[in-house]
This record gives sequence, structure tokens and C-alpha cells, in this order.
Amino acid sequence: MTVKVPLRYRIPWKKIVLYVLAIGFALYLVLPFYWIVAMSFMHEVDAISVPPHWIPSSPTLENYLGFVNPSESQALVGGRANEETPYSLRNSLIVATCTAVLNLALATFAAYSFSRLKFKGSQVLLVLYLITRMVPGIAIIIPFYLLMRSFGLLDTYLALILSYTTFALPITIWILKDFFRSVPRELEEAARVDRCGWFRTMWSVFLPVAAPGLVAAGVFAFMTAWNEFMFALFLTSTKAAKTIPVVAANFATDFNTQFTVMAAAGVLAVVPPLLLALIFQRKLVQGMAAGSVKG
Amino acid sequence: MELNRRQILKYAALGASLPVTSSLLSACSSGDDAGGASDGTVKFEGWDYEANLVQQNLDRFRQQNSIKVDYTPITSAQYVQKVVAEFTGGGGPDALYVYDDSLAAWVEGGYLQPLDGMAGVDDVYAGIFPGNAEAMTYQGKKYGLPYYTDSNSLTYNAGILAKAGITKPPASLEELEAQALKIKNAGILEYPIGLPAQLSDTWWSWVWALVHGSNGNFFGTDQAPIMNSTDTVVKDVFAWLQQAANKSKVLDPASLQLLPVPVDNAMKAERYAYTIGARYAARDYNDPAKSKAAGMIKLALIPSLDGGVHGTVSNTRMYALAQDTDVKDNAFKLVTYLGGLDADKKPYTAKFWFMQRGLGFAYKSMAADPEVTASLKKFADPVVYAKLAEIARPRNVLTVPWYTEFEAELHKVVQQVLSNQTTPSAAVASLEQTATTLKKKFS
Amino acid sequence: MSVIEARRPWSDTAKAYALNAPAMIVIALLVAYPIVYSFWVSLQRNNLKRPRAKRFIGLENYRSLLTDDAFLSALRVSALFVLVVLGFTVVLALILALVLNERFRGRGLLLSLALLPWAMPGVVNGLMWRTIFDAKTGALNGLLSQLGLIDTYHAWLTSGTGAFFFTAMAQVWNTLPFSVIILLAGLSTIPSELYDAAKVDRAGAFQRFGQVALPWLLHPLLIVLILETMNAFRAFDTIYVLTGGGPGDATTTIALLDVQTVLTFTDFGLGSAYAWVITAITLLISIGYIGLLYRKGNFEV
Repeated sequence: MTVKVPLRYRIPWKKIVLYVLAIGFALYLVLPFYWIVAMSFMHEVDAISVPPHWIPSSPTLENYLGFVNPSESQALVGGRANEETPYSLRNSLIVATCTAVLNLALATFAAYSFSRLKFKGSQVLLVLYLITRMVPGIAIIIPFYLLMRSFGLLDTYLALILSYTTFALPITIWILKDFFRSVPRELEEAARVDRCGWFRTMWSVFLPVAAPGLVAAGVFAFMTAWNEFMFALFLTSTKAAKTIPVVAANFATDFNTQFTVMAAAGVLAVVPPLLLALIFQRKLVQGMAAGSVKG
Repeated sequence: MELNRRQILKYAALGASLPVTSSLLSACSSGDDAGGASDGTVKFEGWDYEANLVQQNLDRFRQQNSIKVDYTPITSAQYVQKVVAEFTGGGGPDALYVYDDSLAAWVEGGYLQPLDGMAGVDDVYAGIFPGNAEAMTYQGKKYGLPYYTDSNSLTYNAGILAKAGITKPPASLEELEAQALKIKNAGILEYPIGLPAQLSDTWWSWVWALVHGSNGNFFGTDQAPIMNSTDTVVKDVFAWLQQAANKSKVLDPASLQLLPVPVDNAMKAERYAYTIGARYAARDYNDPAKSKAAGMIKLALIPSLDGGVHGTVSNTRMYALAQDTDVKDNAFKLVTYLGGLDADKKPYTAKFWFMQRGLGFAYKSMAADPEVTASLKKFADPVVYAKLAEIARPRNVLTVPWYTEFEAELHKVVQQVLSNQTTPSAAVASLEQTATTLKKKFS
Repeated sequence: MSVIEARRPWSDTAKAYALNAPAMIVIALLVAYPIVYSFWVSLQRNNLKRPRAKRFIGLENYRSLLTDDAFLSALRVSALFVLVVLGFTVVLALILALVLNERFRGRGLLLSLALLPWAMPGVVNGLMWRTIFDAKTGALNGLLSQLGLIDTYHAWLTSGTGAFFFTAMAQVWNTLPFSVIILLAGLSTIPSELYDAAKVDRAGAFQRFGQVALPWLLHPLLIVLILETMNAFRAFDTIYVLTGGGPGDATTTIALLDVQTVLTFTDFGLGSAYAWVITAITLLISIGYIGLLYRKGNFEV
């Protein structure tokens, strides 16, 4: 006969496993990033020392100040990457925000139709949207470049916003249509009884309830735009429109590489989208939730 | 605005049967090159080596000629692709830097125009070394004025060699390995030899230098591959590289991750005793403001398989004029200012680069210029420096349009040799096959 | 009244297409045209370096792929890369999502950390891992030697297998968050009564996962599989910065080869053919995934 161990003596295996896993994952996720954060506050000598300094021994802000007012040696790095960094952050912010907004506007209408209307060809259309995402960017970069050139849009925000919108649109439509389906129809019907017009119903009743889905889709579009490299490389050529990945790549491939400045640029490139993700953290999971349960 | 010639040409070249819509669209577009043409501004592009010095020199040009120059430095790693994309789209520069590596392809693509018959061009070609003139000529036409040229040397740190009791640089590859081993065994450096062997779009001069250094060739005079048949040097050089990287372990395995600049930094920090690269690097290595190794860095001839003196490789970087420039006169003035002779028949900018950064020059007259020789003495032995220029040969396949493809394959194969993923004989066999396939494909 | 009656209400189909019109126009104009154009180019001999040799050659570019060593090698590398990245991503994301689905102190912090890699552009991710894997000054070397696990610093990215593995790991780190969010979202919708019922039945943790969570997770897993397959097949930024495809062609994936073919070699015809092969493969795999789930009877677009 087995002896029943009194509850308070039982080893809480589940808790232990949980905490071990949580701490392991936390370290895995944060340590690589911590390393470039630490480096970004170091002098170059400390950053390349052996063994490494895990904590900056004499912390400095010079790598960050160099973006505003580059020293002579910093100015040479990466085809003026230093002086272009602040501009590229501004450009990335504008491009990513506009992409997110434009995406939501376009995707909301489309997604609404899939979630509320039964219509011929809806399944084909949904799959067609997704197929446009399966063609790799390199296949369309040349015709796209020519197209933007004939629109006179090279080296402008609009060229990037338009391309990223088309990149993100298929997925945002999928995220949104799933979420919209989880919004009860009764809401709109109630509003209609109150004689609200369709647009007012959408605006003041439907969309607020669908907010988590919109947040998830919006953040997704923002990230898509923020992270893209190849189209940005070819569609832009000056600090008027270059985005942060393009400038960051210059730090890597340049004649005069400095680990610390590169690290500082990397940190700056991560902070804005990270803040965005953190602010919307809870809604993000909620927003994806409805979508992933059922098609 | 109607479709301008540049666009029509490019669409035709691309076969971009971009249908009616785009013609209409471009008819509505503002046409961003029209603005440049109206006030004569020259759109000028180059890779980003010392962009601030370039700008400084361009400011002087602007003051002298009151011609505006819109200068865009492009990251060297993406230079070729970016320029090709711009020309393809019809928005290319008016004047630009060109690698001798890309000349044939860019002429074939219709990006550049010949300079024959323009003012002063013949004087320039008469005043430079024949190898440089040849490198800027394609199918009998002159396409460039020289930016700089350089040949490769074995660059070594005499201080480290002395510490290991070595007094003379190696003449043969065997000797180089033995010396490096001595340094390694003395505990001075784990890996005495470092080479830039990360995949990139720029050429690996040191491979060519080693092959030319032993009087070898990848190709015969008719550009047929001979590295796997009549010429055994390539295979033997590969065998040496593999041995140095994997058996004696004197060649740093991290080389596979190194671009030229990190190698420079390592030389300046005395982390390598030997490297192979352009002569001008020695100026930086010997600059006390930038380098711990200052005063210790010396140039030597490329060590060969048999210990004899045979050669090295040289390259030519040039300024060229775009085929479709709307500001041809101004752009040519700029190209002349940069690569040609000034009113006193002096190559101003070529000398500027030598004095500022030690970049090698194509002009014969500069070799006798007292200012130049005085400056040279500060970073290199003039005798060795001149000898390297004398025995250097350009690559004999630059005129084929598939050169870039071959060079890319060469990098891969050499990386495989260094990381022991293939044998030297398999490596040359695969190179030969690639070259044959490319030749057939492009015939 | 007659005016309103005369105005027939739109049919659902008409309404739906009107609502889709803006998205369809943007996509048709900016993507559909380039896609069709690139397919047309893939049927041509079209190399910028040889404008005069340009002509229509039908399926010749595709036929040449069968004997194209560079292409076949890249295809192998890509297939392996997708397998490794997908395997690690799914397993790690699943465990992390299960952990985050529990209640414990610090859960909010862990969720925030899980979003961190998502905010990192692929190029920056490549740069970051390059400083970590660096042979001379890298953090990985520093850490391992301080822990006494290695005697001398290693050049991690210089052997074929090493470069492949570490590149795949850098890619996994970067793509993990999106999968975690989707899986966590899926887990959060499981009614807690189901778990309670399983607990009453004294089901162990593993059984609970298999019987309760897994069926609910099939759909999110499918989305993760499709999206991550697409991503891994097209992965470029991180690999480009980290190894450039080397050593040799150990990390030259089909995406890297394609970029080189189009942009460095300016062979648009062949490059477009490569791209269409990537598209076809991605499409086939996606159809495979969907078919698999459809048979399970719970898929509805």
C-alpha cells in the first residue's frame, strides 16, 4: 500500500520545472541583447578585450553622442552611417507607422467582408492574398524598382510604405478576419436597431470591440516595415528615406568597423519597436487569440 | 513631360515591355533627373573609401569651376549592385568610380561611354603605366581615367620576426610557413598569418598575388581555363594554403570571417606577423597615430613555390563617364579633375591621394616627384615598392563579361580549401568546370 | 418610399468585393504586376550584361536548373535550414508558450522578454550574433572559456557545419517571438474547465497536454508552420550579415543564391526562375500542411 505523503512535504516538482524553464528562457532571450547593450556603453578597447568585460568598466556615452555629433574617426564609418543614424530612425518610425495605419485601413474593410458576408470566391480570394506573400521579394524587386521609378517615388517614404503595405496586407487580413469572426454579430444588430448608419456602427461599436485584433495586426505591420532590409536598400539612396536596417548594414560592411558604434546603432534600432510591443503586450496576445482557434 | 531618351533606352535594354500604364505613369511623373540637368549639377557616385576626403577634394573642384557636384558615397559591399540597379532604372550617376573588374560588364550593359577623342585623354594614357592603360581599355576604346592602382606585397611585421630570431622575409612559401611556425612555436602568436577571406563582392587580391607570385595563371591568353591542365601553380598554391590552415595551423582559421579592414586592424594591433595585400596599406600600418606596429611594417615580394621572383597582381580603379549623362561637359570636367591632368599637366588628385593615404599611382611622372618619394620613404622601402610595380601583372580575364561570376566561385572554392571541405585537385577541377560552363553560356 | 425600394440593396457578393476593392487594387497594382512580369522574365534569356543576347527561351531556364550545381547545392542547404530552423522554433516556441500559459511570478516580465527578438531587424540580428560568435573577441568564446568549457578561442563560423548550425540558431532566436505569440494565443483560448476536468481525471502533465492542449493547438501550429516555412525559405538578412553564405557554400541558401544571381550577376532570367521555384516549393508545402489539417476535419478558411 502506498503511503500518502502529507501535502506540505511534497516536493513541488511542477513549480521547480516551471521556474527552471522560465529562467532558462529569460537568459536565452536577454543575454544576446544584453551583450550589445553593454558594448554600446563601452570604449572600443574594452569591447574587444579578452576575456570580455561583461559590465562596462568605464561606461561612456560617446557611441551614442557620436550619432548627433560624430568625432572625426566616427564620421568616416560606414559611408556616413553615423550622421545618418538619427535620420534613419526618424524615417523608420514614419514609414512603419504609416504602413501600420494604411494596412489597418485597407485590411479592416477586406477582413470585415470575410467575417460577415457569404460571397462567391471568398475562399479563393483569401488564398490568393496569401499566395502573393509566397513569392520571394527578390523576384519582384526589379520590376518594383522600375515601377517606383516611373511613379517618381524613388528615395521617398511613399515607395517604402507602399511596398511594406503589400507585404503585410495578406497576413493582417488573415489576423483581422479571424478576430472579427469572434465579435458577436448581435452587437452590430443592436446598433442597427438604434438606427446607426453602417459606418457609424463600424466606428463606434464594432471597431472598439475588435481593438485587440487591430492592435495585433497593426503591430505586425509595423514590425514588417521596421525590419525590412532589401527593398529599403534599393529604393532609397539618401538620408531622406534610408531606414535603420540599411544604415545598420553599413556599419557591418564598411571599411572602418567599430564594434561599439555598431552596437549602439543596433540598440537604437530595437528600442522603438520594442516599446511598441511592450505597450500593447496584453492586447497582442488577445488579438491573435481569436484568430488561431478556428480558421 | 515626355519619356526621355534615358528611360526609353533602359526599358528597351531591360526588355521591360512595361506596358502602356507605366509609360503613362512616367509621363505624369515629375522626372527627377530633369532638375539636375537644368543647373548642370553633376551626379557623382563612388564607394565609400574616405568619403570625407573625397568631399573635401570635390569642394575644391567646385570653387575652381563653379560646377556643383552631388556626391553620394555608397557602401563598398553594395556598390556594384546599387549602381547596376540605378542604371537599370534609368537613374544612374553622371560620373562614377569603376572597378577594373566590372568594366567589361558595364560597357556591355551600356552604362559607360568611351572617352576617345576628348580633350587631354590621350595625354593621360601616354603618361601612365601600360598595364593601367590596358585595364581601362575595352575592345579598343578608352573608358576611364585612373583613380588609383596598386600591386600586392607580402606585408610583414619586422619586429615580430626579430623576436623569433628571423632577420629576412621569406622568399618561398615553404620558408614563409617555416618562419610562421617558428613564431607560433615561440609562443609569440597563435596564428602568425592572416588573410581577408570572407565572402564579398570585391576581389581577393591575395589569391591572385600568390598565383602570379609563382608565375602561375588561371587562364591562358585566349581566356581558356588552364588551372586544371597546363598550369599546376594554382593547385600547388591551394595545397599550400590548405596545409598552412589545417596542418601547420599558421594561417588563422578566423580569416574566413575577415574582411580587409579587420585584417588591417589586426596588423596594426600586432596580432598578425604576415598578410598579403595592397602596398598602400603599409602607410596606415606605419602611422604612429593609428598603429601599435608603426615603424615595424615592411613590404616584401610575394613568396613563391620555388623561391624565385616571379610577379604579383595589380589592379586599377578608374573614374568613368555615364553613357546617358545629360551634363556631359561638366561631368567630363569632373572626371578630368579627378583622374586626369590639370592646367600644369600635373595629376593633382592622384597626388592628393598618394600624399593623404598612400594610394598607388598610375602616372609615371609621379615616381620621380621629390614630394612623393619623400612621403614614400616614410612607410616603405622605395626599392621594393618600385620592384613590385615593375613585376605586377593585371588579371588576364578582366575583359570577359563573366569575370564577376568566376571571382565569386573562386572565393567559395578557396574557402572550401581553407576549411578543408575539398581537396586542391577537386578545387581546381571545379574551377575549371565553372569557367568552361560560364564561357559556353556567354558565347 | 418608392425611391428607396427602387434602389436595390447590394448583394452580399457585391458588397464584399466593394470592401475588398482597396486592398485588391493596391495588391494588383504593386504586386501582381511585378509577379507576372517576373514570371515572364523567367522565360527569357535576360542578362543585363548581354542585352543583345536577350530573347524568349521558354522553359530553358527551368530545365537548366536540373544540372545547375550551385542551385542544387543551395536547394539542399535551404531544405536543411528550413528543417532545422522550423524544428527548433516550433519546439522552443511550444515550450515557452506552455510556460507562459501558467501562472507564476515574473510571467509578465518573461512575456516582455519573449517579444524582444521580434523587435530586432534581421540585419541587426546578424550583426549582434557576429559580435557574439566572433573568433577573437566574441562573447560566446569569452563565456565558454570563463566557464572552463574551452581552452582556446574557437572560430565558430569557419567550419561548414559550425557556420550552418550557428546561423540557424541566430535565425531561430529572431523568429521565435511570432510563433510564441500565436501559440500562446491559442493556449489562452482553451476553456479552463477542460484542464480542470483532466485534473480530476488525474491525468499527468504530458497526458493533459496531449489530450487537452494539442487538439486546440493544431490550428495555431499550422499557421506557425506555414509562416515559419515561408520565412526560413526566404531568410536572407541574418545569413547575409553573419556569413555571406560561406564558408564555401555551406550557408548559401536558395535566397542568397538568388540575390547574388539577380543583383551581382544581373542574370534576371535565371534569377527569376530561381524565385519561381522557391514560390512553387513554398506553395506545395503550405498546401501539404493545409491538406493535413483539413483531413483532421477542423479547417475552414
